[in-house]
Amino acid sequence: MTARVDSLIALISASRGARPASLHSVEAEEVLSIALSLVVELAAANSRIDNLERIVAAQRGQPVETLRNTAYDGADARARQDDMEALFVRALYIMLDPRQAATNASGADRAG
Amino acid sequence: MQIRDPRHAMLPQTSAEQRSRQQAIVTLRRLLNAHVRSKNIDVFETEGKPAFVREHGRAPQSAQELEAAFHMSPGYRRWSAIMRATQEILWLEVGEPIFADLDRMRETARSLTSAPDRKGTLELDPSYTPSREVADTDIHLQPGGYALDLGNDDVAAGALYENGGNIYAFGQGFTSYDSKAGVILGMLETQFDGFRPKRILDIGCSAGTASVTYATSFPDAEVHAIDIGPAMLRYAHARAEAMGAAVHFHQMDGRALRFDDDSFDLVVSNNLMHEISNATRAQIFRESWRVARKGGVVIHQDVGILRRQNTLLAQVEKNWDHEYNGEPHWWAYATGDTVADMLAAGFPKEAIDERFIDAVGGESRRWYTVSARKPQ
Repeated sequence: MTARVDSLIALISASRGARPASLHSVEAEEVLSIALSLVVELAAANSRIDNLERIVAAQRGQPVETLRNTAYDGADARARQDDMEALFVRALYIMLDPRQAATNASGADRAG
Repeated sequence: MQIRDPRHAMLPQTSAEQRSRQQAIVTLRRLLNAHVRSKNIDVFETEGKPAFVREHGRAPQSAQELEAAFHMSPGYRRWSAIMRATQEILWLEVGEPIFADLDRMRETARSLTSAPDRKGTLELDPSYTPSREVADTDIHLQPGGYALDLGNDDVAAGALYENGGNIYAFGQGFTSYDSKAGVILGMLETQFDGFRPKRILDIGCSAGTASVTYATSFPDAEVHAIDIGPAMLRYAHARAEAMGAAVHFHQMDGRALRFDDDSFDLVVSNNLMHEISNATRAQIFRESWRVARKGGVVIHQDVGILRRQNTLLAQVEKNWDHEYNGEPHWWAYATGDTVADMLAAGFPKEAIDERFIDAVGGESRRWYTVSARKPQ
């Protein structure tokens, strides 16, 4: 493990007490927490992209909006579109996966 | 004057990415409070109350029934789940840089507090077991709670408190110019005719942020500050030294102060009352009376969440922190009788004043104080 992971694990391990649930499904609430953590990561990533755009725009001597409005077409545009579609397919895989939900030892209900 | 979030040597070193995550949490909390929590009463009326009526054949009446009805609202449950998760993530984003930087912070604390020109002192009491009523709870979900001590001259609890507190407060909409100490300073100026204390006691000082404000505001005064946790106090002491403030910190229980009778001009507590039981509050008020000098001023300050400020429905909504945010005494404080406790402590009725104070650049009636001057 990295030092950062060690720090995070030590911090998380210091927490005490119970976690009272709000939603009817504890599992759904835990997934919500993961989604919220990813939103925070997305916010941090957006900040980094914004910083880089501003640095590049300043080096080019142009407004950052001009940099952001850079349009490309042809092969570059198709590659970007392919990447975007692949991202959405990955995000929606659970809707496309042919395996059906099934009741098992965990007690999870069969999907209706 | 900016009195919240000042820069000093005891702060953890943070990367731009970590600061971005912390800013994301501040923003998320602000938006949740402004646009989602603000609809909780509405979703109670449209979802929770009708669901309760369907189940019980009548409207909810008691605090317990209102709370049950809130939980019958999907909108309230979604907000509650997101709020709890946001608070947990807050501590993750605050704590990661602290735990990663802890060795340097400990070394900085040792250096600051052993410097020949240090201004304050720290007195720890190894025989004292921190009051379980506070120490056993992760208040505000702070990992390990206020008395966390990882050993080896640990300072983590104080660093978590200061940094987490700022992110929590900014997420609540506080400004950099509003603080608990600012409330007390304003009262001394206006209500107590510019009273300038020579000896000050700060009960429940946590990371010592208010204590430092008192020391810098009254440079000729001798400032003492007490709390229960050793790591919290080590951090507070080092932080005060880093800011050039002379504060004498003590590990001590507010219910049994080891100070002489009639020995302080000003006795204060900041945001302490909602973290303790009714019985402890009464004892601390008695001790405040005992150690205050004749003619001295006692001010206990806290958040303005008292029952009589709100309808029962609004009070129950505010009580979310009790179950979900590590605030076991939230309801006791909100419904307690602080004036009766001041009377029982010895203050004459005509000397006792209680008031609600607006935040600087923010919410009206955010703060509450109960205060009195001890008769000559």
